[in-house]
Amino acid sequence: MLWATLIGTTQLENRYVLPWVLGSVLPCYFAGLFTWWHAPSSPVARRLLLLGTWLSIASAVRHTTNLMIRELGWHLRPKVVGPVLPLDLGLQITHEMCNLAVSIIILRLLALLPDGRYAFRYERHVLRALWGLFALPILLPLAGVPQHIVYYIVFYYPEAWLPGIGAALLTVRCLRARATGRADVAALLPWAALGATVLLARAATRLFRSWQGEEGMFFFIGALLGALPYISISVTLVYAAFRHRLLGVDIVLRPSAVYGSLWFIINSWYLGMALTLGLTAGLFFPVGLSLLVAVVATALFRPLRDRLNTLVERRVFGKRLSRFELLVQFSTTLEHAYDLDRLAPQLATGLREGLGLRWVRVRLGGNGLPVSTAESGERPAAARPVKQFPLFYGDDTLGLIEYGPRTEGRSTPEDHAIGGTLARSAALAVHNVRLAAELCAHADEMQRQAAELAASRARIVHAQDTERRRIERRLHDGIQQDVVALVAKLALARNRLHRGGGIDSALTEMQDDAYRVIDELRELAHGIHPPILTDQGLVAAVTSCARRMPIPVTVQSGQSLAGVRYALDIEESAFYLVSEALTNVLKHARAGHVTVRITRSDGRLQVEVTDDGTGFPTATTHGSGLTGMRDRTEAVGGELTITSRAGTGTVIRARLPEHVREDTRA
Amino acid sequence: MPEPTPAPGPQGPLRVVIAEDHYLVREGTRRLLEDTGEADVLAAVGTAAELLDAVARLRPDVVVADIRMPPSHHTEGITAAHAIREAHPGIGVVVLSQHANENYAFELFRRGTDGLAYLLKERIGEVDELLRALHEVAAGRSVVDPRIVEVLMGSHARGADAPLSRLTRRELDVLRHMAEGKTNRAIADSLRLSESTIEKHVNSTFAKLGLAEIPQLHRRVSAVLAYLRHAPPGPR
Repeated sequence: MLWATLIGTTQLENRYVLPWVLGSVLPCYFAGLFTWWHAPSSPVARRLLLLGTWLSIASAVRHTTNLMIRELGWHLRPKVVGPVLPLDLGLQITHEMCNLAVSIIILRLLALLPDGRYAFRYERHVLRALWGLFALPILLPLAGVPQHIVYYIVFYYPEAWLPGIGAALLTVRCLRARATGRADVAALLPWAALGATVLLARAATRLFRSWQGEEGMFFFIGALLGALPYISISVTLVYAAFRHRLLGVDIVLRPSAVYGSLWFIINSWYLGMALTLGLTAGLFFPVGLSLLVAVVATALFRPLRDRLNTLVERRVFGKRLSRFELLVQFSTTLEHAYDLDRLAPQLATGLREGLGLRWVRVRLGGNGLPVSTAESGERPAAARPVKQFPLFYGDDTLGLIEYGPRTEGRSTPEDHAIGGTLARSAALAVHNVRLAAELCAHADEMQRQAAELAASRARIVHAQDTERRRIERRLHDGIQQDVVALVAKLALARNRLHRGGGIDSALTEMQDDAYRVIDELRELAHGIHPPILTDQGLVAAVTSCARRMPIPVTVQSGQSLAGVRYALDIEESAFYLVSEALTNVLKHARAGHVTVRITRSDGRLQVEVTDDGTGFPTATTHGSGLTGMRDRTEAVGGELTITSRAGTGTVIRARLPEHVREDTRA
Repeated sequence: MPEPTPAPGPQGPLRVVIAEDHYLVREGTRRLLEDTGEADVLAAVGTAAELLDAVARLRPDVVVADIRMPPSHHTEGITAAHAIREAHPGIGVVVLSQHANENYAFELFRRGTDGLAYLLKERIGEVDELLRALHEVAAGRSVVDPRIVEVLMGSHARGADAPLSRLTRRELDVLRHMAEGKTNRAIADSLRLSESTIEKHVNSTFAKLGLAEIPQLHRRVSAVLAYLRHAPPGPR
C-alpha cells in the first residue's frame, strides 16, 4: 500500500492514488481491524483485511506496471495479438487477477452481510463457484476465444458487475431471511435494495465509461462510482455491527474505544472523500473550479459526517444506560438476598448473560458461613478462569467469583470492571447475610440467657425459701426446745430449793445447757450471715473460714486487696462461693490440701478454689451445689468456670465485677 | 499524758466501768461483779461515747466493754478499747464479744496486747474467769479467750515459714496455755507435767521465737503476741 502510494503520487503524479488509499483501502483495514478486535472468529474480519490487502497489492502492481510502461515504453493496451514480453504480460495478468480477487471478495462480503456466514445452501454454491473465474484466463484461450475478448470476459465485465451481483444476492438473502424469520438480516433489505440499484447502475456506467474513454465528466462520475463498493462495504459493516449487533460486538462494553475508532473511520473516510473529489476534479477542471468542487464536497459531506458521528455517539453512549441497568438490577437482587443458596445461581446466571460469558462460577460464604456454590454455563474441564474476583470484606474473604472467556470477542477492562463491581456488591451482600445470621444467633443466645435467667432466679428464690425453712426448723425444733428444757430445769431446781435440797449441780447443768444454746445461736447467726464479713471483709472472713476446716487450707490474697471493701453482694457471693466450694471439697474430693486465691485482675475480683482431690467429670455432674454457686455468681454479673479431671483435682474460679465500696479501713 | 496507774491489789476492790447496750446483760454483769466484793462498778453505760466520757471522768482501773454497740453495731468496743489504751495506758480493757472469731481478737491486738483481753460474752457466767481477766489487764497483761486459742491451735492454715511452725506439739500446748494467761504452775497442772518440764518448754519456745533476751514478764506477753501475729496468714 505504501509502495503504491509512493509510486503513484511521486513518480506517476497520479492524483487518484492518495484519495484512493485514504478513501477505500484504509477504511477496509480499519473496519477489518475493528471487527477482528471485537470478534476475532468472524469471517467478515478476515475478509475485510483480505480485501484491504488485495486492494493494496492490486494498486501496487498496477502502479508498478504503469511505472514500467512509462520508463520502459511498454504498451499494454489496446492489446494486439502477437508476441508479448513475458514480464509485462505477467504483471498485467497479476494486476487483473488481483482486481478479480478484490471483486470476488467484495461480492462475498456484500452477499453475506452482515455476519459473513452462509445462511442458505445456494449461497455457498454460488459464491464458491465464483472462484472458478480464475480458471477462465486459461480455459478461454484454449477454447479459441481471442485475447481481448478473454480480457473483457474475465477481467473487465466481472469487475464492473460483481459488486452489483453481490448486492443483488444480498437482496435475495434478505428476502429469504424475512421468509424464514431472521429479522436481523431481513432488516437490511432497504439498504440491500438500494445498494443493488446503485451498484448495478455503477456497472452500467462502467460499461458506458469504456465506450467514452478515460476522460470527461462521465469518466469522473464512473471513477467515483467505482470507488463506491470499497467505501460502502466498510461503512455498511460497521454500521450493521452497531445497529444490529450482528458481529457479536457488544457495544455497551467499550463505549469510548468504540466511539474513538468509529470517529477515526468516519473522519478518515470523510477526508478521503473530500480529497478524492478535489483531486479528481483537478484532473479535469481548472484549479479554481476544482478548488470550488473540493470546498463544495467538503461542505456537502460535512453534514453526512456529522450525522454519522451523532448516530454513532448516540448508539454508543446511549446504550450505556443498559449497563447501569444491569448493575442496578444486580444491586436490587443483592440487596434483598438473605439466602446464599439462591443468590449464588442468580449471580452466576446474571453475570454470564450480562457479559456474554461462556461460564461463570460463584462461590459465596466461608469465614463462618456455610458455602454456596453455583455455576452457569458449560465450564470445560481444567479450564482456567479469565478473571477471578475474591469477595473481600475487610480482612475476610467471603467467596469468589470467577469466569471464563466471552462467547464472542474478548473481555475488555470494562467487563472486568463490571465483574469487580459485582464482586464488591456480592461481598457486601454476603456480609449482610453474615450479619443477619449473627443477629439470629445473638437473638437465640439472648433468648437462651433469658430462659436461663428466669430458671436461675427461680432456683435462687427456691434456695432462699429452703434456707428460711431450715433456719425456722433450727430455731423451733432446736434452740426453742433447749430453752424450754432450760425453763423446765429451772422449775425443777426451784421445787428442790423449796424442799430444802441443794441445787448447785442443777444450776451448773443449766449453765452448761445455756452455753450450748449460745453456741447454737452463734452458729445459726453465722450461717445466716457471717458478721466477720460485714465487719472485716472478704479476706478476713475467708481466712477465718479456712482456719475452721479440718484439712489444711492456704489462703492467698494479693496485697492490692488489703483494706479494700467490695459491694456487699459481691463480698457475700464470693464468700458463699468459697464456703460452698470448701464444703464440696470436704464432702466429695478427699483432698489433702486446698488453696484459696483471691486476686484482682483486669478490673475484676477473681476467687479461685483449688484442691488436690479426686476431681469429677464436669460435663456430667450437675449437683445442686454447683448450680447454686453458678446462680449466685451470675446473679451479681460474674462468671464461674469449673475445671476438673478425675485424679487431678478441681479448680473453681469465679470472676466477679469489682464494685469497690468506699474504703473505710485504709 | 500518761497518768500514774493506781496500784491494784488487796487494799481495795477493782474500780470498773461497764459498757453494754443490752440492759439485762449490763445490769447482770454489774450485779455479778459487785456480788464478788472484788469489784466496784463506778458506772454502767450503753454506748461507746458514754464509755469514753465515763472513763475520762472516773479514771477506773479497768473497763468491761461490749464489742458491738450503737450506733452501727459493728466493732465499737474495739475502737473504744484502742482509744482508752492510747489516752490512759494504765487502764486495762476487757472486750466481751459474741463472736468466737479470732479475727476480732487480731483486730483488738493490732497495736499491742498490753492491758487488753478478748473474752466471749458467756464468760460472764464464769465470774471467776472474768475477775481474773480484769486483774490481768489491770496489771498490764493480756488474756485471750480459750475458745479463740483453740481455733488457732486447731487450725491448719498456717504459713510454713511462720516461727510457730518451728515449735513442737508440746511447746504449742504450753504456748496456748500461756496465751490464756496461766502461770507455769497452772500450765503444769493442766498438762499433768512437772513445773520444771514446763519451764524447759517455755524457755525453748522463747528461744525459738527469738525472745530469750527479754525480761520474764514481757517475754510471756510477747510470746502470746508472736503467737497471735504469726498464727494467721491473714491480710495483716
